[in-house]
Amino acid sequence: MRRDIDLSRLSSRLRLAVLYIAILSLLGCATTKSVHEEYKPVSKQLEEYIERNEFAVSKGDDVIGRLAFISLEKQDTLPDIARHFSLGINEVSAANPGVDVWVPEAGERIMLPLSFILPDAPRKGIVINLAAMRLFQFKGDSDSMAVLTYPVGVGTEERPSPTGQMYVERKAVRPTWHVPASIARDHRKKGDPLPASVLPGPQNPLGEYALYLSKTSYLIHGTNKPASIGLRATNGCIRLYPEDVKKLYESTPVKTPVSIVNQPYLLGRRDGVIYMEVHGPRENLDAVEFDRVYTRLRNIEKESGRTLDWSKIKQVMTEARGIPVPIFEIGQGSGKEVAETIELKHPLELYGRPKIPEMKTDAWSVLAADIPDEADAVRLAAIINHQGPQIPARVLSRDVSYRVIAGPFSDIREARDAIKRLKIDLEIDARLIEPVKKR
Amino acid sequence: MKKSILMISLMLLAITAGGCATRGDLERVQSQEMQTSAKADQAARDAQAAKAAADAATLKADAAAARAENAQKMAEESQKLADEKAKLADEKAKLADEKAKRADNIFQHSMKK
Repeated sequence: MRRDIDLSRLSSRLRLAVLYIAILSLLGCATTKSVHEEYKPVSKQLEEYIERNEFAVSKGDDVIGRLAFISLEKQDTLPDIARHFSLGINEVSAANPGVDVWVPEAGERIMLPLSFILPDAPRKGIVINLAAMRLFQFKGDSDSMAVLTYPVGVGTEERPSPTGQMYVERKAVRPTWHVPASIARDHRKKGDPLPASVLPGPQNPLGEYALYLSKTSYLIHGTNKPASIGLRATNGCIRLYPEDVKKLYESTPVKTPVSIVNQPYLLGRRDGVIYMEVHGPRENLDAVEFDRVYTRLRNIEKESGRTLDWSKIKQVMTEARGIPVPIFEIGQGSGKEVAETIELKHPLELYGRPKIPEMKTDAWSVLAADIPDEADAVRLAAIINHQGPQIPARVLSRDVSYRVIAGPFSDIREARDAIKRLKIDLEIDARLIEPVKKR
Repeated sequence: MKKSILMISLMLLAITAGGCATRGDLERVQSQEMQTSAKADQAARDAQAAKAAADAATLKADAAAARAENAQKMAEESQKLADEKAKLADEKAKLADEKAKRADNIFQHSMKK
């Protein structure tokens, strides 16, 4: 039997006592929810959806999104998971240290780092943080702001992406790639000479859309190597997944300001809690940036009149997992709560996962390797499948070894081209397999 | 005379009575001796049984000690084996890690334009 308590009927002393107990229990909740608490999923219920690209930015907040967890299935690879959830491979790898990129264990529970601290830069147009390998596109004004965010691939150490202020000078659909002299030279050295220009199509590394920046010869573009998003693999350009660059292209007018920063240490606030996000690797961490963040942390201490948990900060810096970690509650007990994490249901199909056509005995194929260890064979097949453009590959088991077979190819020319690419790009000596002749 | 004869008779009677008492005593002593002897036999048997039990216990203890020693040796051996296995597994894992890293490096290189 349910019995409601009518407070108005209670004596004033009793009412006071009830109120006091209620306040005490609330204080208890605030105290137990420490900012140092590790992220844990709050619900065991599996969710089907999570925000990946578009987030509302509350006034005064710098942290967006939520962290999520997912259990891997057989044949999943981290690059496939990364692409489905619009993450870079760097982000998924850093958030899940020790997990095999290409042959993770089925059933392994991994974190999807879909929470980000906005870079310390004016919130207008496009802001790219090279250290986080992430692009932010701001919409609206300070009263009602939204941000769209995408993972990117950036320049290598030898050819880094530029930093500074620039703008979108022009845009192009199905751009032609005019091969820069330095890249043409590199390819010639590798025995893979390139034409002066590459027309639109699967061989074009710019993909389907390009935004030309005011800084000459730097572009934001698509890619024919989607698995390179989250890697330092470009010659200074900014690469996006094909599906992301399409959205960016369509929503970015010419003259949009573009700010490129390199901020490995990020500090941000949400709901009265200060978060810290650090992007590795440690050897790439910038001393100037470190000094900047250290000064900011000291200022937080000064303003609050309390000491920060420096051991926690040190841990965040050492781990450099690229996720926002709560480090400080601005007013003790004032923080609403650390953002919740969710447990996601594994999608039936991962978007963009390379499809492997059925093997045909009457088609040309290529023996890429004969390997005794199954995991090594599976890894190699996955790597070959994630080349751009894709070279389909599978593992066939034999009595004592595992064969990695690439194909099927429609003709001998295509098969020979695959052999050449395997040699130049992956240092694999592959052999041609002739089709079985019909009698 | 009569008096002497009475005295001698009394003495004889006393001696006879005394002789009767000694035989009873003897019988009692003999019975006690037999009982004691039986008890001694029993004690000897008990002692023998106790010794046998003690001997058996010693044997058992020795066997248990030997078994324990054996078990310890075996445990040490299997620990050694387990250590070696773990070391091998570690080396294998390290090798697998290195192979995976090498493969990943080659992959990353292949992602350049």
